[in-house]
Amino acid sequence: MSPSEKPRLGLPDLGVGVGLRRKHHEHILTNRPAVDWFEIISENYMVPGGRPMVTLDRVLGLDYRLIQHGVSLCIGGSEPLDRDYLRRLKELVRRTRTPWVSDHLCWTRAHGVDLHDLLPLPYTEEALRHVAGRARMVQDTLEVPLLLENVSSYLTYTASTMTEWEFLSGVVEEADCGLLLDVNNIYVSGYNHGFDGATYVDAIPAHRVVQIHLAGHTNYGKYIIDTHSDPVIEPVWELYRRACARLGPVSTLIEWDEDIPSFEALLAEADKARAIRDEVERARAA
Amino acid sequence: MPGPLEALQEMLGEAFRREAPVAEDPGLAARCAEHVKGNDRLTPAEQVDLYRRQFWMRHLGSLEEDYPGLRALLGAAAFEAFCRAYLQAHPPASFTLRDLGDDIVTFAEGHAGFPEGQEALCRELVRYEHAFIDVLDGAEPPPLDPARLAVMTEEDWGTARVVLHPLLRRFRLAYPVHEIRDAARAGSALPEVTLKAVCLLLFRRDLTMRWMEVDPLALTLLDALARGVPLLPACELCAAGLSEEETAQLGERVQGWFAHWASSGLIVNVAHIAPQDAVEALGGEVVPH
Ligand SMILES: [Fe+2]
Repeated sequence: MSPSEKPRLGLPDLGVGVGLRRKHHEHILTNRPAVDWFEIISENYMVPGGRPMVTLDRVLGLDYRLIQHGVSLCIGGSEPLDRDYLRRLKELVRRTRTPWVSDHLCWTRAHGVDLHDLLPLPYTEEALRHVAGRARMVQDTLEVPLLLENVSSYLTYTASTMTEWEFLSGVVEEADCGLLLDVNNIYVSGYNHGFDGATYVDAIPAHRVVQIHLAGHTNYGKYIIDTHSDPVIEPVWELYRRACARLGPVSTLIEWDEDIPSFEALLAEADKARAIRDEVERARAA
Repeated sequence: MPGPLEALQEMLGEAFRREAPVAEDPGLAARCAEHVKGNDRLTPAEQVDLYRRQFWMRHLGSLEEDYPGLRALLGAAAFEAFCRAYLQAHPPASFTLRDLGDDIVTFAEGHAGFPEGQEALCRELVRYEHAFIDVLDGAEPPPLDPARLAVMTEEDWGTARVVLHPLLRRFRLAYPVHEIRDAARAGSALPEVTLKAVCLLLFRRDLTMRWMEVDPLALTLLDALARGVPLLPACELCAAGLSEEETAQLGERVQGWFAHWASSGLIVNVAHIAPQDAVEALGGEVVPH
């Protein structure tokens, strides 16, 4: 089996992690809680110094495993890739020793303006080839595997000629990169655009999924916004169970970015994910 | 000719940054409907509006965090109007929201919408609050090695360059704008602000932002040191225009200031430089010793 055919592209399963957020820094540094791993937002640490960098080094000094997740790569943009951004990102990769880097399958900039949002792409052959070519370049530059994450979206395009999961699968296959499967984003986009999340989970190339995201969202009735402000809802746990059954154990992360709860409450959410993973694994083994 | 993807992104990028709902511009709504599907619950224009609203929420929220004093001074509505005007004139260009206010000081200089009579106050407050951004996460140089001061001779002070902390910011303010920011951050009532000259240092210590009011003469001395003028000639620059009695006291005062600055981490090194460079730091003017 070549590395790219192995489960998780041959990358390790790190268990269930949580996001490293400012609100919890003091608690973590003082109490050193047992956590499988932390995910950091790369851009928050692409600064010369100050509190972010001091905290980062202290957390690394405690031997916690950090995984980098970015929001500004703009893999689907039409402007050339930002070389300065990539250089700074790579510097951080060396500092954190992250085994992979993830960002979103989206665009964030157009015409010199950064919209600071994860904007969906049209699912066309043109966009697929464009993104895959850029993902290869990024992966070569960073010298660590790149994972692309499916985003929550609030619109779809008339130009699309394939489903979101066909597009996502096509991109990661053609780029030969990994996939960060956000199960909540599948649910959100499924609700907003009327597709079945289970079909999505069953269709993606299983061996390319290196990491999973779980999060809460806000349902406004006519649409759902991916706010990361609440606990994971039951239908999303169900999708997660389905993903675990199909993919086997994959590093899983609880995302919580608004109305962030206590660290204990966050860990309780991670424990819930761990229980599902374990239960599915036991069933598979039996 | 841009490809279809680029053209689509350019069209939507502009729509997301509009101030008014897309539906209010029939031409734009029609262009959106060409490219965006909509569904049985939302029209294409309404779908685009979800992103448009988030664009404003995100960027106004970020400026609100970075300029709390200005927001408290102007009030929420006037602050939002200022920020909207700023973001229209200077759309976010950097990948990080940290850089969102990169052009805000220049913009405020030319902004005509500040309350009458408070224009200078508002501009000074913007300049002061903007300084926090670089100082907050700037790189920390190694601290001053006390041994370097111990070996300095009287003669050395005539030529050695005092290296100030790169994150030290010096202000000659016409209004005590630091009090406005502090009150706003503490959630307390804003102080009555009237013209009152303040010489202020802004710096970071133990990862916390601090300010220190200083004597105008102390600030003149720091300005000279920042230009690279060695300590003794810098003191001589300060002495210009002082009475004999004041000049006589200057040495002692400088010693006090210097010790305080050194212990506050504002001096990070004392470096020997070639005499010619010292003359250049004085702007080519040689000060008699
Ligand atoms: Fe995610």
